[in-house]
Parts: sequence; structure tokens; C-alpha cells
Amino acid sequence: MSAFDTADAVARFGRALVSVDTTAATGLVGELLEHGADPVVVLVEVIAAGQRAVGMHWQRGEWTVAREHAATGVSAAAVEVVAGYARRVPVSRGRVVVACAEREWHALPASLVGHALRAHGWEVTLLGASTPAARLSQYLHDLGPDATAVSCSVLGALPASRRFVEATTAAGIPVLAGGSGFGQDDRRALAIGATAWAPGAYAAVEAIAALPPVVPAAPPLPAAAVAEQAQLERAHPRLLAGLRAGWSFAASVLTGSPAVADSLESVVKDVLDQSLHAVWAALLTGDPRPIPETAAWVAELLAARGADPRLVDELGELLTSVLVDFPLSHALMTEAR
Amino acid sequence: MHPGTDAPATTGPWPGLTERVTSELAGSLNLRRTALRLLDLLRPAFADWVVLALPELRTGRLVLHGGAELTATTPVTARVDRERGLGHVLSSGRTDVLHVDEDAETGLEAMIPNAGLRAEAAALRPADVAGIPLTARGTTIGVLVLVRGTRRGFPAEDIAFAEKLAGRAALAIDSAQLYEDRTHVAAVLQAGLRPPVLPELPGARIAARIRSAAAHLDLSGDFYDVLGSGDDWLVVLGDVCGKGVEAAVLTGRTRQSIRTAAYFDRRPSQVLTALNTVLYEADASRFVAVVCVRLRPIGDGSSAVASVAVAGHPPPVIIRAGGTIEQIEAVGTVAGVLPDLAFREVDVRLHLGDTMLLFTDGIYEARGADDFYGMDRLVELLPGYAGAGPEPLCEAVEQDVCDYLGGRPHDDMALFAVTWGR
Repeated sequence: MSAFDTADAVARFGRALVSVDTTAATGLVGELLEHGADPVVVLVEVIAAGQRAVGMHWQRGEWTVAREHAATGVSAAAVEVVAGYARRVPVSRGRVVVACAEREWHALPASLVGHALRAHGWEVTLLGASTPAARLSQYLHDLGPDATAVSCSVLGALPASRRFVEATTAAGIPVLAGGSGFGQDDRRALAIGATAWAPGAYAAVEAIAALPPVVPAAPPLPAAAVAEQAQLERAHPRLLAGLRAGWSFAASVLTGSPAVADSLESVVKDVLDQSLHAVWAALLTGDPRPIPETAAWVAELLAARGADPRLVDELGELLTSVLVDFPLSHALMTEAR
Repeated sequence: MHPGTDAPATTGPWPGLTERVTSELAGSLNLRRTALRLLDLLRPAFADWVVLALPELRTGRLVLHGGAELTATTPVTARVDRERGLGHVLSSGRTDVLHVDEDAETGLEAMIPNAGLRAEAAALRPADVAGIPLTARGTTIGVLVLVRGTRRGFPAEDIAFAEKLAGRAALAIDSAQLYEDRTHVAAVLQAGLRPPVLPELPGARIAARIRSAAAHLDLSGDFYDVLGSGDDWLVVLGDVCGKGVEAAVLTGRTRQSIRTAAYFDRRPSQVLTALNTVLYEADASRFVAVVCVRLRPIGDGSSAVASVAVAGHPPPVIIRAGGTIEQIEAVGTVAGVLPDLAFREVDVRLHLGDTMLLFTDGIYEARGADDFYGMDRLVELLPGYAGAGPEPLCEAVEQDVCDYLGGRPHDDMALFAVTWGR
């Protein structure tokens, strides 16, 4: 369906990311659009695809965090070129506010969805990375949009995404949820009270148009699960310290100095943060899958860095034992094993 | 229903509806969303067709919300007769009910002053139309036009119930209108205080971030600005005393003073001297911490000279392309509290791929679980971002500081990065 050679464009865009060549990336995207390519197709098939590859490079230990960020900067510049084209489309639909909740720093997927919606005639307000719920609420009062779209790619941002859902539906506004933090189906999104879920930019464009104009306030989440997740959040530094002290892998790389990006120490911190966040996510959504999914992610991360695969099981056992005072979480961990 | 008593929530023909109107309309201060919610609550159970007629506070123009399409808004272009139909309900604050027969015209035009919407309502006839006043805080602010078709009619108790609902809804709508009006005032005033859109610099890439202490406001006491042209630019970053709106107003004045001063002399030392004098003469209790960097390319543009002067502000840090970190030794007194200050400039060279990072004290004084974020943590983080460009660098610092905060409140935070070379 694309009016251009997708494979060739993806390869050229990939080369621009590898060499951190903003000029090449923006030039390529401008060229595709000048030749009549659909802006949404360019966003999804070229830029998002390139960005996914960037994430994989980091996960496999091939790229440093700084290199990943630099490549993301190139993608962001390319997205801006598409945004310029999307803005030429007349506004013919309502208004959508697109945002990432606190702890969500991956602003690119949200901006990509925002520009895709803009290209389909929606007026879009982008609030960017790690937006506090109070700021979103202010915008909802000021703009009175037809919908909110919340992007969540990390499990740790699910509790804040729930606060977005509360702020939005309290005003009767429907909310569309998307991003890898919500997983492969709509279960987690609906569990936190979102009106609908979309797996990607194309689906988001369709889903936004199908939302009802008014929704009731999202019902409360199960009180016991909410209370325990809040306790976990407060205890996070202590739990983190416990895991760090008990996990043999952490002990082997422990330096005592602040975690510098790309050090094994910082990988350990990411792994431990994510593992605890997976429990938060499972508690709030009643979906246990974040726990095995995170274990698989940790296994890949460690394998790429030449670590013993048994370290993943060791971490699972340790996590189960440090969560002994948190009955719901403990049960989730026991079931997952 | 007994006059003078409030019926319990579960009794009456429309159980819980009054309570839902009250509680759900309280969820939004946005006029359009409040109107949508009311229409959604009333249709189709209470009435087959509903329009909310609201004169706009600022323009006085009458707008009809709803109809067959819930989200529609239709401005009224015809003159509204104060003696009949909608105009009469608005001016008198009294309910008006009329019956529309199969063929008669019976005043529908006066109650629904738009041809398209009128056709929708007429399609339901024989129908009954009720114009219920929305009266809040002593003023009739609008009219709820309800239509029931297929001989449902409006019994007296339903009219009484609708008036009660309208009373509850009117309070929420009035609040939303007042809020919208104030928001408009604030937005117009605020527009001049927002961080500026960054220009394209011929020889450099730049990026900036501001994270406001007041999470819901786009206003802060931290600010940045870029001014100049050709091959002579001035980058300014600063922090005024105080927080919130008052601080934001002072940042506006400061930015303007700096722009005016730089028009006459772009040397950072002279800009700061002028700013100090202006602020001191205006109000010696107000002070501003500023860092000023003048950027000029050298020779073929492969490097630049950056002249740095500070007034009570942390000096910038340079991240060399190769990953070494240099802290610039520049000091100067805060601007605005003492007369006749002089400021010293320090010149440094920026080569291709070098980045200069400017930041306010909100960054290193961010308070985490046990301590400040601190300069050491910042200096440890930066080498990893050598050559990454200004945008990724600002993002990385903002993210690291926010992670460190762990959701705790913070001061205004601002970052500005310049990377030499395109």
C-alpha cells in the first residue's frame, strides 16, 4: 500500500540512525513525503521500525544508552518533518490530548501517534514525557478535548497511567491507551479503566474515531491491590536495596558509586526496577503476565551480556522472598514460579 | 413528590438522575465537556432530543449545544425574540411548554432558532417541547430545550423534576463558564511569559527544557532565551526569586530587559550590568540569577568562542566531544540587589561536537530520598552523552533528576544545551 519502496527506505533510515546523521534522516523522510507517501505510513513503517531496532541494539548490549538517545534524537527530528506535513491537513475532527504519564520518558511513540492523528484531521495537543496528572487535568479543563490518548511503554508508568484515566474519565472524557506497557491485548488497558486500547498508530487512528463522546468515571480498582501497590511504591528503595544485596549478580558488579549509564551497575538497577514494577503492574491490572514477560526480558538482557542464565531464576526466588510481607504480591510471585 | 422536601435518591420516576447530574457535572470545569455530559445524561431516557442554549459570556452570542448529534455546536445567527420561545425563557427565567402537532407550526421556530436542528425536532412530531431555564446564582444563563415525541408528553411532575435538574446543572455550567472566561484572561497574559520557540542557529544545535515546580502550570521562575543573528548569538538562562505566577511575571520583565540591553551591546558583562541596574532601580528586593553566553564562530566555523558571564548563577559545564567534562570558572553577584556591579567574562572554545550545558540550581538541588542530587551526580552522568547532541542530553539530565526525585516536589528546573556544529 505504500507509494515507495519500504525496504529501501527502512534500510536508508537505519543507516542514518547508525551514523547519527540527522540530515540524511530528515532528507529521506522529506523526499518520501514530497513523492506523495502517506505521513502515517512513513511514521509507522520507517521511523517507528527504525526506532524499534534502536531499542533492540541496547537490549543486546550493542549500543550505549547515549548512542540510543542520540539515535532517538535523529528519529525525533525525522518525526518533526512528518509533523510539518501533517499540520498541512485541515482540522476536520475534534481535539485529542496525547500524553505520557509520570515515569514514562519515551515521548517518541506518543508524538508519533499524535502526528498520525493530526494527519487524519484531529487537532492534537502533545504533552510529552512524564507529565504529572495535575498538568493533564489542567489541560483537560482548559481544552475540553474529545479524547485523551495515554502512551505507556514501561510497566512502572502504569500506576501513573491509572491516575491519567481517573483525571480524564472524571471529566467524562474517553481515554485511549496504548504502548508496550499495556502488553499484547486490551486486558491491562481495560483493567485500569481505559475506554479502549490500540496496539499501534494505525489502530489508534481507528480507535479514536470510534470512542463514545462521554464516558462515566472509571470505577475504583480493587482496594487491596491499590493499597499494596502503594506500599510497594513507598518501600521501593528498601526492596531495591534488599534485591541488590541478595542477588549474586548484583553483588559481583557492585561498586558503591552512582550508577553511570551503561555500566553493569546501571543494567542491574534497570533489571531490579523493572522486576518490582512488573509486580506493581500485575497487582493493579490483575494480569499476572508482566512477571514472566519481565523475567524473559531480563534473561535476554543478561544473555546478551554473557551472564549465567540461572541468575534469572535466582532473582525470581529472591523477589518472592523479599515480598513475603506483601501477601498479594507474594502470591503472584509464587504462582508465576 | 412533596413540595419543600428533597426526595430520596432512589425514588421518583428517574432514580438517581439528580444526583448523577450533580456529581458528574462536577467532574469538569470545561464548558463544552459539562454540556456534553448533561446532554448524555438526559438523552434518550428523559427526553428524545435535547439542546442546550447558552449565550457565550464573552461575546453574548447564543450557541446551541447538542441535537441529534450530541457533540454538535451551532451558533444562532437569527435575532432571538425576547417575547417568545427561547428568548422568553431566557429573559423571564420561566419554563415554557408547547405542543407541536403533525402539521401545525406552533412556535417551534421561536424555541429552536436554527433550521437544521428544528427539522430534527420536527421529525419527532407529534411532539412536546419544553424550554427549561438554567438559573444559577440569580441569573438565567441558558435554556434546556427538551423534546419528547410519540405522545410521551410532559406531565407536571416531570416539568418540576426537569426544573430541579436544570437548577443543579446550571450551577456547574455557570462555574465552567466563569472558569473559561478566567482561563481566557490567564492564557492571553500567559502567552508572553511562555518559554520562547528556539531559533535555528547557523553553526550550532540547541535544545532547552523547563520543568515547572507547580505541576499544573506552564509558568515558572526559570527562563531561557536566545537572541542575535548571523554569527553573533546570545544564550541566556536564569532563575528569578520566588515561584509560580509572581516569579513568571518577573522572568518576563527580565527577559525583556535583557533583550533591550543586548540590542545595544551584546557583551555578556554589559548585558548583566544593564540588567542589574534596571532591576535595582525598579525594586531592590527582587533579584535574578543569570548566566549569559555569547557565541561567535571562529574562522571557517569549525569552532566557536563562547564568552560566559554569570550573575549569582552556576556556570555552564562543557562536555567535550571526547567525553571530558570541563567546569567553567565564572563568578558574579546576583543581579538586582546592589547598585553599580561589574561582571567579568570568561572565554572558552567550543569545537565540533562539544556541548555546553546551562542549568539552574533546581537541577543539582533536587532533593531525593536522603540527599540533594548534587553536582557530582551530574558530572558523572554527562560523559556518557558526549556527542549525543543537545536534545538527548537535556532529556537524559531531566530524566535522571526526576528519577532521583522519585515523585517528590521540586523547584523550577531549566536546562539549555548548545552543541557546536550542525
